[in-house]
Amino acid sequence: MAKALEPAVCARDLGKVYLVADKEPGLAGTLRHFVRRRYRRILAVDGVSFRIEPGEIVGFLGPNGAGKTTTLKMLAGLLQPSSGEVRVLGYEPFERRPGFLRQITLVMGNKQQLIWDLPVLDSLRINAAVYEIDPATARRRTREFAELLEIEEILTQPVRKLSLGQRMKAELMASLFHLPRLLFLDEPTLGLDVNAQTAVRRFLDGYRRRREATILLTSHYMADIEALAGRVMLIHEGRLLYDGGLPELMERFAPYKEVRLELAAEADAAGLAAYGEVEEARGRSARLLVRKGELPRAVAGLLAAYPVRDLSVTEPPLEEVIGRVFREGRL
Amino acid sequence: MIRVWRKARTLLAVYFAYMMEYRGEIFFWMLSGVIPFFFLSVWTEAAARGLTVHDERQFARYFFAVFAARQLEIVWAHWNLSEDVRTGKLSFRLLQPLDPAWHYLADHLGERGVRLPMMLPVALVFVWLYPGALAWPGAGPFALGLLAVTLAFLLNFAVSYAVGLLALWLEDATEIYNLWYTAILFFSGMLAPLDLYPEALRRFLTWTPFPHLIYLPAALWSGLAVDWRHGLLVLLAWTLFFFALGRWLWARGRRHYSAMGA
Repeated sequence: MAKALEPAVCARDLGKVYLVADKEPGLAGTLRHFVRRRYRRILAVDGVSFRIEPGEIVGFLGPNGAGKTTTLKMLAGLLQPSSGEVRVLGYEPFERRPGFLRQITLVMGNKQQLIWDLPVLDSLRINAAVYEIDPATARRRTREFAELLEIEEILTQPVRKLSLGQRMKAELMASLFHLPRLLFLDEPTLGLDVNAQTAVRRFLDGYRRRREATILLTSHYMADIEALAGRVMLIHEGRLLYDGGLPELMERFAPYKEVRLELAAEADAAGLAAYGEVEEARGRSARLLVRKGELPRAVAGLLAAYPVRDLSVTEPPLEEVIGRVFREGRL
Repeated sequence: MIRVWRKARTLLAVYFAYMMEYRGEIFFWMLSGVIPFFFLSVWTEAAARGLTVHDERQFARYFFAVFAARQLEIVWAHWNLSEDVRTGKLSFRLLQPLDPAWHYLADHLGERGVRLPMMLPVALVFVWLYPGALAWPGAGPFALGLLAVTLAFLLNFAVSYAVGLLALWLEDATEIYNLWYTAILFFSGMLAPLDLYPEALRRFLTWTPFPHLIYLPAALWSGLAVDWRHGLLVLLAWTLFFFALGRWLWARGRRHYSAMGA
């Protein structure tokens, strides 16, 4: 068991290098590859350091190939780090100690652990036996989770017959069946419709509150991050770009507001550019980014210069802020 | 102990249910294992011409025992592992506090539960084709044959698992297992009773695992003379060797696992 003051996760200069075979296409490439194999070193994670305290929920963001999943796999004990140190709940993950494995889970939105041809209940039976959950508790937990996820009706159906949303909920149920203290969630809402996304988010939030669980979450849906995470880590090309609160991130990387306009007549983008950065100008609608210090002047100017029917000022979407950080590669 | 029993019982029950979903494939797979009966037709012809020391009935009895032993010893852990390594499905097994080998073993035992009753129709057809060929070998030889088949299955499984672990380096190790199978084909007694092989070759083979995988149980069940004590000891020794090799490969190979695809 982890000591009271020990962090749930502590990574120091964590790195992972993959050796990937380099092969050119065609017969010549195949023969050259056979005679003399060439390998390329891919630095997937490059000296990442962070701590996650018990009970924290952290969003882990980055573009595809940034190193998020590799980091999660090292934390879950699937991969051996190439460099650095990592302790999770006081254990070295790669050793796969039973005490460690009983306290963690890794949910991968694009993969499944459920047995494809059998009902969900059979996979749950295996998990109950493997995690040594007594039958009465397993039955009670099955009822409780199925009710929360609203999947009571599908537990006796073969997994292959379920919709993506139902399957993901069943995956979550199987992954959390042993009540882990630490959840690594890799795109848990991938491909789900809005209703299913909301249900999964609500379930995860409820689980965290009830169990005081620690969560490290990757997602391309910023709604997941905004709904669940108070802290975010941004990773790009294997390096950690930012580690801090969401409001601070917005303040630091989005020192502007979004101004949305509905006009009585069409306006050209060139004219609007005098008031801010034009993100979109289509017909009678426009969207501008305006620096926070210049907002009063810009709004007053727009109202004076254009026949404005509606004007709203909001924070820019998180997706845009994050995208901007990655595009500019800035810190 | 109760917990171990509960794990074992649950794994077996669920994998049996899983294999029941594939009962059709298993039946056809079993039918593809009737090769010993082709050799039987060759050897009965030779026996009819008086070219061998065994008579036709003895050959029939022997090759049916070969068929049964072979059916009970089939393994595919190398295929399971190669697939799980290549697709990254091994990750889910690694996340659980249970050695993945138990899943693969339960998968095999569950399948055996489905395959076993399917052997009955084959036996009935055989009895119809060769009346009087099947004879009860006696409780002792039957039990020793079962013990030999169990050990042979465990040895095959240990080899298959060790070969499958090579996928952690090579991505796919399924074809390597065919080397083992080729040796079984020629040196296990599947082609002919080993007492028909040259003496020097037989003496050498007796220290390898191959003759004891098929010939030992088949000889016990068909009433041929065989040194079963030596056979069982050799099987046990090779099983322990490949089990240890598997543990060694697992400890080293896991460092190479890239968890790709998952």
